[in-house]
Amino acid sequence: MTSYSRRHFLKSTAGAVAATGVSSLSMPAFIRSASAADVVKLGCLFSSSGTMANVEGRLNYVIQMAADELNAAGGVNGKTVQVVTSDPASDWPLYAQIGRQMLQQEKVSALFGCWTSVSRKSVLPVVEQADGLLFYPLHFEGDENSKNVVYVNSPPASSVLPAVDYLMSDDGVTAKRFFMLGSDYVWPRTINKQLKAYFKSKGIPDSALKEEYVPLGFSNFQTLVNQIRAFADEPGGQPVVILTTVGSSIPDFFREFINQGIKSTDVPVLGLDVVEADLEGLDTAPLVGHLNCWAYLQQAAGPANERFLKDWSAYVDAKKAPFKGDVVIDPMVSAYDSVHLWALAAKKAGSFEVPQVRAAFDGISFDCPSGYKIKMTAENNYVYRGVFIGSVNEKQGFDILWQSEDTPKPVPFSPFS
Amino acid sequence: MRALLADKSFAATLGACVLAILLLAMFGGAGPLTPYVVNAIGQLAAFAILAVSLDLIWGYLGILSLGHGLFFAIGGYVAAMHLLKHSYEVTSVVPDFMQFMGWREFPLYWAGLEHAPYALVLGLGLAALVAFVFGYVSFRSKVGGVYFAIISQALVYVAMLLMFRNDTGFGGNNGMTGFSVVFGWPMGAPGTLLGLALASLVALVIVLLGCRLLVTSRVGRLMVATRDDEVRLRSLGFGTLWLKLAVWCGSAVIAAIAGMLYVPQVGIINPRVLAPELSIEIAVWVAVGGRGYLSGAVIGAFVVNALKFWLSTAAPEAWPFILSGLVVLVVLVFPNGLLDIAGLKLRPRWFRSTAGQVP
Amino acid sequence: MRPLFTLVCCLAALLSAQAASAQAIERSAVVAGLCGTAAAGGEAASHLLALAGTTNAEDVSWSLSLTQAVLNRQLKCPAAGPGVVDDGRAPRDAATLAPAPLPPSARTPVLNLRNRGALDLAQAALTLRAGADAGVRRGALGVLTRRAADVPLPVFEQAAAAETDPSLKAEIENTAAIAALNSPDMAKGLDALERLSATRTRRVQTQIAALRDDPAYAGDRTFKAAVDSALTRVEGGIRIGNMLAALYNGLSFASILFMAAIGLSIIFGLMGVINLAQGELIMIGAYVTWLTQEVLRAALPGLVDYYLLVAIVPAFLVTALIGVALEVTILRHLYRRPLMSLLATWAISLFLINAVRLGFGTQNLQFATPFYVAGGVPVIGDFIVTWNRLFAIAFAAVTLGLTWFVVQRTGLGLDIRAVTQNRDMAGCIGIPTRRVDMLAFGLGSGLAGLAGLSLSPIYNVNPQMGANFIIDAFMVVVLGGVGTIGGTLIAALGVGQINVLIEPFWGAVAAKVIVLFLIIGFLQFRPEGLFSAKGRRR
Repeated sequence: MTSYSRRHFLKSTAGAVAATGVSSLSMPAFIRSASAADVVKLGCLFSSSGTMANVEGRLNYVIQMAADELNAAGGVNGKTVQVVTSDPASDWPLYAQIGRQMLQQEKVSALFGCWTSVSRKSVLPVVEQADGLLFYPLHFEGDENSKNVVYVNSPPASSVLPAVDYLMSDDGVTAKRFFMLGSDYVWPRTINKQLKAYFKSKGIPDSALKEEYVPLGFSNFQTLVNQIRAFADEPGGQPVVILTTVGSSIPDFFREFINQGIKSTDVPVLGLDVVEADLEGLDTAPLVGHLNCWAYLQQAAGPANERFLKDWSAYVDAKKAPFKGDVVIDPMVSAYDSVHLWALAAKKAGSFEVPQVRAAFDGISFDCPSGYKIKMTAENNYVYRGVFIGSVNEKQGFDILWQSEDTPKPVPFSPFS
Repeated sequence: MRALLADKSFAATLGACVLAILLLAMFGGAGPLTPYVVNAIGQLAAFAILAVSLDLIWGYLGILSLGHGLFFAIGGYVAAMHLLKHSYEVTSVVPDFMQFMGWREFPLYWAGLEHAPYALVLGLGLAALVAFVFGYVSFRSKVGGVYFAIISQALVYVAMLLMFRNDTGFGGNNGMTGFSVVFGWPMGAPGTLLGLALASLVALVIVLLGCRLLVTSRVGRLMVATRDDEVRLRSLGFGTLWLKLAVWCGSAVIAAIAGMLYVPQVGIINPRVLAPELSIEIAVWVAVGGRGYLSGAVIGAFVVNALKFWLSTAAPEAWPFILSGLVVLVVLVFPNGLLDIAGLKLRPRWFRSTAGQVP
Repeated sequence: MRPLFTLVCCLAALLSAQAASAQAIERSAVVAGLCGTAAAGGEAASHLLALAGTTNAEDVSWSLSLTQAVLNRQLKCPAAGPGVVDDGRAPRDAATLAPAPLPPSARTPVLNLRNRGALDLAQAALTLRAGADAGVRRGALGVLTRRAADVPLPVFEQAAAAETDPSLKAEIENTAAIAALNSPDMAKGLDALERLSATRTRRVQTQIAALRDDPAYAGDRTFKAAVDSALTRVEGGIRIGNMLAALYNGLSFASILFMAAIGLSIIFGLMGVINLAQGELIMIGAYVTWLTQEVLRAALPGLVDYYLLVAIVPAFLVTALIGVALEVTILRHLYRRPLMSLLATWAISLFLINAVRLGFGTQNLQFATPFYVAGGVPVIGDFIVTWNRLFAIAFAAVTLGLTWFVVQRTGLGLDIRAVTQNRDMAGCIGIPTRRVDMLAFGLGSGLAGLAGLSLSPIYNVNPQMGANFIIDAFMVVVLGGVGTIGGTLIAALGVGQINVLIEPFWGAVAAKVIVLFLIIGFLQFRPEGLFSAKGRRR
């Protein structure tokens, strides 16, 4: 290497500035699979490293599994579906960067991705500008309605409010006072803002509400659980914790909750983002009875769910995926629904062009593993989903405590804000 | 001009940058220079400016800052505030973070930020002010070496914690995004991206020339002397406090410029730029490229980041291992980084005698 | 609550008068209720609670076994027909206890919170009557005391009459007396007030404060005085409890900081090396602890509960060996270039995080919670000593003692102190400085491994966990003064306590920010930290 001549170096550095960019940057490895004419591409934006890896990582596999199903049934519009995966590494700007790369360089027909609202907000300008389609599989804070995003999961008005209603009813615990504890970012902030307005409309005084935020990744809940105990001991009726922390803050919170000896019958916790994966590693016997609410729970009845559970388990075995084959969470089902909704629309439109596919959303419906027939209308890109309220059981899972009669109409903009 | 270009590696780097500007200006957006590639080059240039700013104080003054992300972020946040305010004037869309915080109007400290010149002055001035306060108290009480490194890291960490709070008022964890207009051009359009990339490259050339002027001047010699034996210099009667402070503030301003160029190109800023890891990474770019050489900083920033862009999609599993291996290799075997490998350390004698001894 | 209470009392009276022939029908109605809607389940639960007050011991034991079956999800409800208890023994009819086949598609009723609360109470009441040993009965009484007003009085009467343990008998009578707090009989009310105020918690405070709305408070001077003095006593207890809680929380945070910082302090003091991989060594210590648990589970399942103690040796050794290996291969060459060793250790930390990620995945590790780190015990007021934090505090104290012993009382310690004070001089008088460096680095790394062990019952264990500690730990080391164990201890205690004091007012983040600013500010005036070895500043 040292015999490198300076002239040579001069040339190579000169080239480096342009060339590293041109050749290596624009040619990531996944382009090697040549874009044959009979292939249609779908892009995934789920992290397999960083803080979100544990939950997001499995969605890559679900998308691939759904695509395999489509291909086994002969593909879509005569083309084979090919899934392009990536790793945004839980780094929000990188979601935008890779999203841009997928749409502009890869020419994917649709993107499936994002877990946190932050990542969706960072990809949003990219899909809007390129007029792409992003299927977003998480329940979220609402107050957004882009023609370039399909909101597959529920906005709060049709998922959180029913659960809160249930807690306030005599069937629940006749809740009168609410301790809202969340991670400090857009989703908990917005949810709590809407909840406060909702409580106001129900005549609950401000003195019965308390709102606290912790940074993402926060783990030392000693003082906050002390505050919750103090709040619970005050007069004024049944207290409830509405928990909107995310990620590792969920098990950390519950661990401290157990240690300070609070039971669900004293102070129930409605964990809005709690899924089975968060309870891994916890002894859930002292947590039995705490609640969550989603558009799908693993114990949902019906043949569609039985088939999905069986397929996923077999798929995990076949691909040696680093996830449990017997745990299925709502965002996985929502991601699965996303691929099928896209395929239904593309077939109906007879095209993969975004405007045509979008126009075809009106009236499509799909038998979701949740047991509901989910559907879309021309009004917006939201999906009609059922609602479940789950109750933690001893086996680190959730029993279904309540579920909606039908699929309520999704309301993008909360009237309570 | 001859003195400026006496160093071959510097001349080569500068030439490469000028060539890139010409290539982009002529063929930008066409052929292999797709908007995506143009954008990537622009981002790399912003990172190179950041690396030069750190090299100026670490390579030439011997002060390692593990908190340079702070100044980058100050520039970036002010640029983002300007873009948001400007976009709001054009589109009247209230930014997200204000919506979910329930704010109807911009807080007071946003006043006037829709004017670009004011934003520019504010961003650079703020970076210089923060650098001055922190630098003055540290250098005055002779905090240096690893202590300074740790304390500057704690400072950037504190800033990150603060910015993660939504109550602080800068969008919290979400940061700021959704800019629609840059100087009247639509955000993210190929022409805008090309313009920003060109601006970044031009800024890089100017910064390189300016720094080169500085380090080859008498002041530059004093800087190197301070790095090599500050005690002896002081006993000879040279006060080092104001020299260190001036260069430190200048370095902060350059980092802020990099931040201002970076944000409109990626379209988002959030507290992740204040993560201590990013600030350490800047030092890694400099060390990999060749510390104490302006060209080394540029080469390091380009090579490491280009590798990162490429490998984080092509081989995401392998990238951290490659990076850590590269660092250990450079630290143990090639104290002057890639310049060592290329055998390109050409320096005036007064400089070379102590090169490699940089603490 | 009142109407329900009256209803329950009436039911109790009715039930105790029930004829034996009617019992079977009642029992099957209760089982059917539990298998039915939420409302029916609630009624059945209050039936079961009322049954705790009957004189019929057979009724009580049947109710207890049914209540436990429901709570443990052992009651199976077929689409039609009677419920069956399936608890691992032969399945039997829940009402008649006669052997019965397990129906093919039986449903397990899911309890809502209201019914779960009612059944918990019924279970406690029934256990007080029919629990096998005094310890179990005392536990049940604890549950009943918290909700004394919801328990039918006959339960206490019957339980007290039958109780053989004299001290427990007195406790039951005490609880029964407290239950009479709202009784119209003034003497009983005052007695209850007196007894209640012995427990000085916020819950009791709320209960007593509510009595001010009682008409008697305005009307009767003795009653008012009793209420006020009880309230003062309780509030005093709560204040002491809050103070102790703040101290304890501060101490617990300090112990975490100390464990994370002590290894760094030795390494930094000795070699001036900033070991950015220290957090990752903590992480590896936690992973070794987990591996120990898994090995024990496979080889010696009886000892699994003691994995936290068994893992002490491997956690220390593995991390110490990694430390020695790093020192020999990389850091040894960088002692004259501390800033470069900083970058090198950062690269090592990056490597370790990703190696562990590839080997074990990103998910949180699952740790069993042994009995000695589960739960806590209330002390005074609302101050609860949680065992996992106490474990961390005790562990830190022992580590402090041992480290102090090694550094002050052993040959290696003497060498370490000599090299720390003056490396060149120590070398001149024949101390093998290179070997001391290596061993000290091993010691510092091993201490990080122990930190990982003591943190595993408190924090989530995953590849990224190390990053949480590194900056705080460095601030503690620098604040305490490099290379002094005492300084590190004082700094950890101070930082922990200040953090906990600020937190309730401005939140966790602000507390951290303020503390870091304080430290940065302090170091500007005293760069060598609180305590430091005397000598020329390096």
